[in-house]
This record gives sequence, structure tokens and C-alpha cells, in this order.
Amino acid sequence: MSTPVIAQPAAEPVVVKGGPTPAQRLTSFMPVIALVALLAALTIADPDFLTQKSLTAAIRTSAPLVVLAAGATLVVLCGGIDLSIAALASLSTVFFAMWLPDLGGLTTLAVIAAAAGIGAIQGIAHVVLRIPSFIVTLGGMSIFSAVALVISDAGPIRVVDRDATNWLTLYVAGYIPMAFFVAVVVVAVIALVLKLTPLQSYITATGYSESAARLAGTPVDRVKVGAFTVSGACAGLAAVMLVSRNFSGSPTMADNLLLPAVAAIVVGGTAITGGHGSIWRSLVGALVITLLRVGLPIVGVPSAYEQILYGAIIVAAVALTLDRSKVLTIK
Amino acid sequence: MTSPAEDVDVAAARPQPRRGVSLRDSGPPLALVVIFVAFSALSSDFRSIGNVQNIMDTAAVLAVVTCGITFVLMMGSIDLSAPGVMGAAAIAVALLVANNRNGNELGVIGILLAILLAAALGCVSGLALVLLKVPSFMTTLGVSAVGLGLATLMFNGVQPNITDGTLASWPVERLLGLSYLTWIAFACVLVGYLIQRYTRLGRYAFAIGGAEEVLALSGVKVAPYKVAVFTLAGAFYGLAGVMVTSQLSAGLVQAGKGYDFAAITAAVVGGTLLTGGRGGILHSAVGVLIVMVLTNGLVQVGVSPYWQGGVQGLIVVAAVAAAVLPQRRRNQVTK
Amino acid sequence: MIPPANPEIGQQPHPMVPALEVKNLVKHYPGVKALDGVDLVVRQNEVLGLAGENGAGKSTLLKALVGLVRPDSGEIWVRGEKVRLRSVVEAANHGIGMVFQEQSLVPNLTAAENIVLGSEGAGVRGGVYRWETMRKLAQEQLDKIGSDINPLARTDTLSFADRQMVEIAKVLRIEQRSQHPPVIILDEPTSVLESKEIETLFTQVRRLREFASVVFVSHRLDEVLDVCDRVSVLRGGQSVGEVATAGAAPADLHRMMIGSTGSDDHYHDQAYERSAEPLRPMLSIRGLSGKTFRDVDLEVAAGEIVGIVGVHGSGREDVCRALFGAEPTLAGEVTLDGKRLDLSSTRAAVAAGIGYVPAERKIEGMVGPMSVADNMTLTKQQSRCAGPIVMPKRQSSLVDRWIERLSIRTPHRGTQIQRLSGGNQQKVVLARWLVAGDIRLLLLDHPTRGLDIGARSEVYRLMRELADSGVATVLLADSLEEAIGMSDRIVVMSDGKATKHVPCPSGDKPTPLDLVKEMV
Repeated sequence: MSTPVIAQPAAEPVVVKGGPTPAQRLTSFMPVIALVALLAALTIADPDFLTQKSLTAAIRTSAPLVVLAAGATLVVLCGGIDLSIAALASLSTVFFAMWLPDLGGLTTLAVIAAAAGIGAIQGIAHVVLRIPSFIVTLGGMSIFSAVALVISDAGPIRVVDRDATNWLTLYVAGYIPMAFFVAVVVVAVIALVLKLTPLQSYITATGYSESAARLAGTPVDRVKVGAFTVSGACAGLAAVMLVSRNFSGSPTMADNLLLPAVAAIVVGGTAITGGHGSIWRSLVGALVITLLRVGLPIVGVPSAYEQILYGAIIVAAVALTLDRSKVLTIK
Repeated sequence: MTSPAEDVDVAAARPQPRRGVSLRDSGPPLALVVIFVAFSALSSDFRSIGNVQNIMDTAAVLAVVTCGITFVLMMGSIDLSAPGVMGAAAIAVALLVANNRNGNELGVIGILLAILLAAALGCVSGLALVLLKVPSFMTTLGVSAVGLGLATLMFNGVQPNITDGTLASWPVERLLGLSYLTWIAFACVLVGYLIQRYTRLGRYAFAIGGAEEVLALSGVKVAPYKVAVFTLAGAFYGLAGVMVTSQLSAGLVQAGKGYDFAAITAAVVGGTLLTGGRGGILHSAVGVLIVMVLTNGLVQVGVSPYWQGGVQGLIVVAAVAAAVLPQRRRNQVTK
Repeated sequence: MIPPANPEIGQQPHPMVPALEVKNLVKHYPGVKALDGVDLVVRQNEVLGLAGENGAGKSTLLKALVGLVRPDSGEIWVRGEKVRLRSVVEAANHGIGMVFQEQSLVPNLTAAENIVLGSEGAGVRGGVYRWETMRKLAQEQLDKIGSDINPLARTDTLSFADRQMVEIAKVLRIEQRSQHPPVIILDEPTSVLESKEIETLFTQVRRLREFASVVFVSHRLDEVLDVCDRVSVLRGGQSVGEVATAGAAPADLHRMMIGSTGSDDHYHDQAYERSAEPLRPMLSIRGLSGKTFRDVDLEVAAGEIVGIVGVHGSGREDVCRALFGAEPTLAGEVTLDGKRLDLSSTRAAVAAGIGYVPAERKIEGMVGPMSVADNMTLTKQQSRCAGPIVMPKRQSSLVDRWIERLSIRTPHRGTQIQRLSGGNQQKVVLARWLVAGDIRLLLLDHPTRGLDIGARSEVYRLMRELADSGVATVLLADSLEEAIGMSDRIVVMSDGKATKHVPCPSGDKPTPLDLVKEMV
């Protein structure tokens, strides 16, 4: 524009657009509202539900889901998706069962490190080869399942030495299952690290606007690889938790956790388009999903509806949290 | 998943007439021949007539699934709903034709109803995509779960075994050395090709993957076509589910397990781009044969069949990387 | 070419009724009036040129004419009838069609399909293609413009010029819809054509005039004068006049386009006295080549503002991005302050003390939903951290200081940047490079795009201040006027080469016309 178009700059409003819409405000509280509503509904349906014993059992089963969802949330915050978490966790249970006799107490760390490494490889493939994350991880899912089937000979491997995972079955302060405690600590540590370091900014910027982040000189590629690495490590930890509960490793043990984990992330309100959301939200989302899981039989719904519910929840939650301004054509 | 055109320079983007087209199109068939010859050299079991028949027969279901998914991929969308949709159709058909669970004996009508159910599920994916603006990989993941849930509900703890004559004949009766299932797959490929080549639906699906905005600028409303493509894909998955039931003589919830990924692999290997707008049914058919020959050949030379998925995973990553790398730009956004 | 007259359908309008008339069209965007009362008359069977600088409102006007933009007020009349255009289809129904700047063909369909896309008519029956009919329909259109393209060729196998012919053939399909002689808008049709192809296009345009009206938009004024009967000039969202092309020179047009030269004051040129000392060289580029530019040499001294000017496609934007590591280079050596520069990534550029303000502020410049503070400290994290740990207090005091210093108007440092006005957003983006105080070279790609005059003036003052403190600046200005007003030296780029270095000292500035001569 060569000549002034507007003569009086003072008339320009300071703030151009309004704040969050009511719908956005509502969705930001959605997971907590859902959690409370579910608890209330279940208590009404079965007054015995709100007891220490059944609540303890519920959060104990939620632990692996919390960890899985928390890790994958980082990838989603960066604008990608990790569909391999469940298969990687299954593979990790096999690793655990196979390595335990040799490595003993170090097995847990070794499994988490191996899973983190595998996650990192996926991240590098995504970043270097520029393959969309869902394809890399879909391919990863298939590869991990195959590897798990081959090395385990397609069957469960019993874990005889239960000492290595015994600590996860303990209770903190008598009530809180250790597995859940560890899951919350993991969430808290990741959240704290993000908050205290520039990582939060990097991840948010990458997720909201990758090109702007790159042109601002943020380490977009390293952040993404890091997110996949953490996601892998979390899958490894979830695997250890599963082994502690089932006393075996199996090539398909965690496979049915993919949908609940994705559902937990989107129910928590993390936008699938990236940037918006948090790892705490996924913790709440995972609790919501777990309550649904344990609650459906209580209200007399056959567990077959669980799957249908996941499907509906995923689509509905994504529709509510999606940042439509970002995607012009939805593919 | 990639959001393009954020830093496209018009001058730089000036495309030249492509010369590599022929190579790109002839690559997959060439690869098929090479793989086939290689395995024939390696294994005498592989090059037997019986094994070739076997490859064709096992390829049948995947070919039908791939027919469906190809239309979706051509639009630049993705479809992960095959396992759920196939599972629902597999159980539905088992309960509708003559079986051990109920008195239904609907025969062909039962098959059509199962396909209709599958088409409806595909339609739901498409509607969620265009109405709720939820990306297709999420809607189809959700619909897959819904399909599996429906299948589990219908399954109801007792496996339905089929006694229907027509369905039972599909995998065993042969015509010119190939089972009826294989002929059904051929028919699907032909129908798919005709749709792709001669109908507005097929051409628009292709165009949506090429340049969706241009269609809108030309006054074409793309939403109905998207829904229709997902519905069509659902119908193909439904038929595939029915075929699995005929193979197993029973309806299984897991009838479609792994077919989503195998079909994506086949389509991508055949030369269909995940970004849409290129490839087609015939490409995908070649891709299916590559995947099946590779899978079969590896087993014949003594590789554990459990590697099947792993091989597919590697192929798909490699094929996508090969397609994406030449167009790589700095500062490109990859989701 | 059986022009309009199908007597049973559309009435042949009186020859004096304009084919298209725009009256007092107004369109606001937040912070900018893109159209501020534009009037335009397109007569029957004439080629009307539309000229104007970047941001003069040309593209908004064109979009309004094909229903892609809805004006806030004003009227559009087609053949003496007032119309409302709410979509491309409605515009087509009234006989208005546009050949878009970015070609709007589906690359993987055949030429025939593209030509009939959306109005296949007899080419499709019951959803089934009748290829032979379709080919004939397309051939008819191609015959109209005398093109010998094979209608069944895939569009992406055609040359650029051929695709443009396909596009024109496609636009001519609107004749069938409106039953009237069409109005064809050609938006920068020559920008990526070679000279031979341009000649063919011009022949084509003259042919079109026989049975249609044409609106021709181009940056290249000589072309406009060559092919048009009349030129209408836009400036600042207003119509500033019309020129009959017979006997007119590009200089006349250009004078109308830029209007009176803005006062030097506007660019704060006088307020900052350059020191007489010889300038210390900061950036030195030798033989830099990339995909869209080659053999570029450029020197920028500390404290110097060097403007690069050039028409669309001159490659100047890519040079800028290459310096920031955001565009690959093929050859060349770049040193910054005597040290060889690593051009492999934006990270390396940032570490070397280079800052870049992209032209697409909303997409590439800022992270909209993040706060002002986080946007400001996004790059120079060290400015808010102690070791690896973020110090919120340090950040807030730093950010508040810069908010005050640049007088950024924001309710709070925690406000989302997307809620600020354009000028304030741009100041935050600029501040991003300044907070650490280590910036040595600033690459500004259209830093005032979409800003109002007050905000522009502030950005100019800031640029002066920075230059004064020793920062070397490369400026891709929004207009020639701006480039001249702000730069100490101007480099002209044309077809990917730096063709001319024009000194531009305060008090002895070249005129835009001097530069235009070098640009085309």
C-alpha cells in the first residue's frame, strides 16, 4: 500500500478479536465435568461404588492408561499422533518377560530405555523422512506387533520372578496403589519439566504453528523427536505396570489400550490439531475413560458397548476440541 | 495431514511437464515381476501352480478391501475403519444367512444387507468428516471401534457358524483354476476401475485429491462426494467381511483385523499417494499382488509368518518416504 | 465465435450499457480499508487494464467481482442490472469469470474435464461420464480460442502457457450459463510466462475482445498499455483515474499509481543523522544461488538499511529466506561480521545473530494463540532463563520493558497475540529479535504489510532506531515509495539476479520511476 488508507490510527481498537467463546470455555472444563458427572452417576446407580475399595481398584487399573496417554499427549501437542503406543507397550511386555531372567532388577530401566529408543527412531523417521506421523506410527505399530509375535513365538511368556515388579503392587499411604502413584508422579514430572523450561513454549509453538516456530528459530525437529521418545518411554513404563498385574508378557497384551488412550487424550480436551491442551488433561481423560470402563457393567450395560462408546467419544471429543481455523480443508 | 502451500513461491512452483510419469507408473508392476522372479528362483515350492493359485486366493479379500480404501486415499483422506466395518459385516452376514444361531435363511439378500450395514458405517465416517469437520483418520478410527462394538453385540458370546450353500461354495468352488472368491475380487477391481474412470464420483474423488479448492471455485459441492466415497469404501469392506465369513464358515469379530493397514500398504506400494490425487484401482491391484507375493514368498523361503505385519510396516514407511522425499522442502510442515 | 446473440434468451443489451459497472464499492478488513469507494466501468467488447501498487485494492476488487469477497457496501451492475454476487457460481451465472493468478485447474484431471468442471452438461449423464461428448464440449471451447491442445491430455503434462489457455477456455464456459457475452478477468496472467508465451496470450486477449469484455491486471505497465484499450488506476482502495492507452507512457500510469510522494517525515529520515565515518561491513554475499535466484552479490554495512526491490517472481523473497536458512542454496558464500555463515538451518541463523520478520505474519510470524510474552521470548529463550530454567519474573519484567519501549498496546503481557491489532502484533514479532540485544542483521520481509499508517510510522521509527544502533537491515518493502524512503541503498532484482545497485542517500533519493525502469 503506497498511501495511507486509514488516517486516524487512534481509532484502531487495542484488541481486535474477542476472547474464548463460551463453547471453548465449556470444553476447557469438559474433562473435569465429565469425571464428576460420571462419579455421581455411578454412585447413584450403585451406592457401593463410592467406597474406598472400589475406587482404589479403579485407579489401580487406570495406571497404565494414564501413562500411555500422558506420553502420547506430548506428540499430539506437537501436532502429530502416535498410534504405535499400544503395540510398543505390548512389545515391551515381551521384552520385560524375556530380559528379566538376565537383567533382574535392571529390567525395568532397560525396557523403558529400549522403548524410548524405539520411540526416538520413529520420531527421527518422521522428522527426517517427512513422513506424516500417523503413517510412521501406523507402520511402527505393525512392525512392533510382528517383532513381538516373532520373539515371543506368539504366546504369553510367564514371569516367574515377581520381585522385580512387586513394588508396583504396593500401596502408598495404605490406600493409593503404587502403580497409580507412579503414573501421577510421571505426569507431574513431565508437566513440571515442561513448565520450568522453554520446552513448553517450544511444544506449544510447534503444535499451533510449525512454520512460525521454525522461522522463530525454535528447535522444532528436536522437540518432535523428544516427544516421540517420551511417548516411547511411557509405553515402556506402561508395559512394566501391565506385567506387574498380569505376571506375564504377551505380544498382544496392551493392544486394546490404543483406543482408550486416544480417547483419554481427546476427552481431556487436548486438540488433535496440536498446541492446545496439557498432560494433566490426559490424566483426567484417562480417569474418565477408566470410570466408563468399570462403570458400564455397574449400570448394566454390556461391555460390548464399550467399543461403540470409545468410537463415539473420540469423534465427539475431537469435534469439540478441534481448532477449525487451522485446517482449511479437512482430509 | 500435511498442510501445504504455506510458503509456496509461485515462480518456484512453476511445474514443468513431467517426464518421469512412465517410470512412476511402471515401477510397481516391474517390482512385482522382479519379486516374483526372485522368489521363483529361491524356492521351488513358490513357483508351483498350486502356490500361484494360493496367492491369488489369499489376495482376494485384501484386493476387495483395497478397492474401497483406494477411493478414500485418492481424495487425500485416510480410512482406518476396515477392521470394524468388516467385523460387523462378517457377523451380520453369518447371522442373516443359514446358520446355527437363528432361523434366518436370507441367502443373497442377507449378503446384501450385510454390505448395506457396512456402507452405512462408511457413510457415518463420511458424515462425521464433512459435518463435524473431524479429520478422517479420527472419524474412521472411531467408526472402526463402533463397528467392532456392533460386531461384539451381535456375536453375543456364541460363534455363528454358517451353513449357507452359496457362501460356503465361494472359497472352494473353482472356475478356470481360481476360486469364486478370486473371481469376486476380479469383479470388484473391474467395477472399481469403471467407477474411477467413468463416473463423476470416481473422477471427483480423484480431483478432490488433486485440488479440492479448485472444485469449490468451479462451483462443485465436494461434501456429498466425500460422503459417497466413504460409503462406497464401506460397501467394499462389507463385501470383504462377507468373504472372510465364507472363508471361515463362521462370523468372527476379528474378521477384519489388520486389513486396514495391509490395504493402505498395498495401495501405497501400488503408487497411490497418501496426499491424494494419484494412483488408482489398477495401481492398487498391483500393490495387492506385491504385498501378497512378498508375504507368501517370505513364508516359502522360511521366514516366520509372524513377520508379515512387520514387512508391511517397513514397506509402507519406505514407500511413503520414497514418494515424499523428492518433494521435500525446507521449512515444510509435516504433521 | 457466435457471440452473444441468442435472441430468444438474453436480450442484446444496448451497446452503450456497460458490460460491468462497479459503484462505490467498500470493503473493510480489521485495521485496513481494502476498498474505499471504488468505481469501475467495463464497456462491452473492450479490454480494460487495472493498475495499482501492492495493496491498492486490486485483488480485493477482483475477488468481489467473482463473489469470493462480499463488499460491505456499494453496488455491482452487470449489463444495466444490479446484481449480488455471493459465490463464484453466481458470478458465472451473470457471465463474470476469472483466470486466477495461481492457476485454478485440477492438475490430475484431463484438460477436457477441467474445462467443463462444474458445468459438465451433456458430458455426464446420470453420474456417468461420456468421454466423447466431454471431449467435444472441451474442443468447442478450445476452438473458440484457437488452441490446438489435446483435450484428453492430463493437465499437469501441459506447459504453463497451455494450461493458461485451458483456463481461459474454461472461463469461457460461463457463456453457456449466462447466455451473454462474458466478462473475463485475467489476474496477473503474464507473471510466470516467457516472452513468446506472452505474445500468444496477447493475441488471445485481442481475440477475446471480439465477443467478450476483458479486465486485464498486471504489474508490468508496458504490457497493460500494450494490450488494453483503457486503464483504470487504483490507489489506496480508491479509483484515482482512467487513462486511454493510446499515446500513454508507463510513467504516466506509474505517477497515478503512487500519487504524491510521501513526505520524508513519514519515514523519519531526517531525525537520524548518519555518522560520517565509513561503515563497518556486516553482511557480505558473494555469488549466492538458489532455485529462484542466481549469482547474487550484496553488501550490507552495520547501521545500513538496504532495500531490495523487484517485481513478483524476481526472487528477492527467496534470497531473504535463504539468508535465514529457510530456503536451500546451491552455491555462494555469505559472511556475517567477517565470519562464514552457516545457511543450513534457521537455528544456525538465529545463533549467528540474524533476525527475520516474515511477510505472512499470521502464519509464519507469530504463534497466534500464545501470549504476547511467550511470543516475544520464543526465540531468545536465554533472555528469560537462568540456565535451563524459565524465570517468570525475569520474563515479565523484560517483556513489560519492551512493551513500554515499543509502545505496544496490549491489555496485558499474557494476552494472546492474535487478539492484538496488526501493528502491535508486528511490534511483538520485531521485539522477539531484540530482547536479547544480540541482533546483528535483520531481514524484514514486508514488515508493514496490512498495517495502517500510524503503525507503519512506528515500525519505520523502530527500524531507524535499530539501524542507528548498528544493526544491518535488509528490507523488502511493501511499495517502492517505502523502499526509497527507508533505504540507504537499493538493490534491484530481476529474474533472480541482482541487476542494479542504486544509492539512496537522504536528501538525494531516486524516484520510483528510476527504479521501475530497472525492474522490468
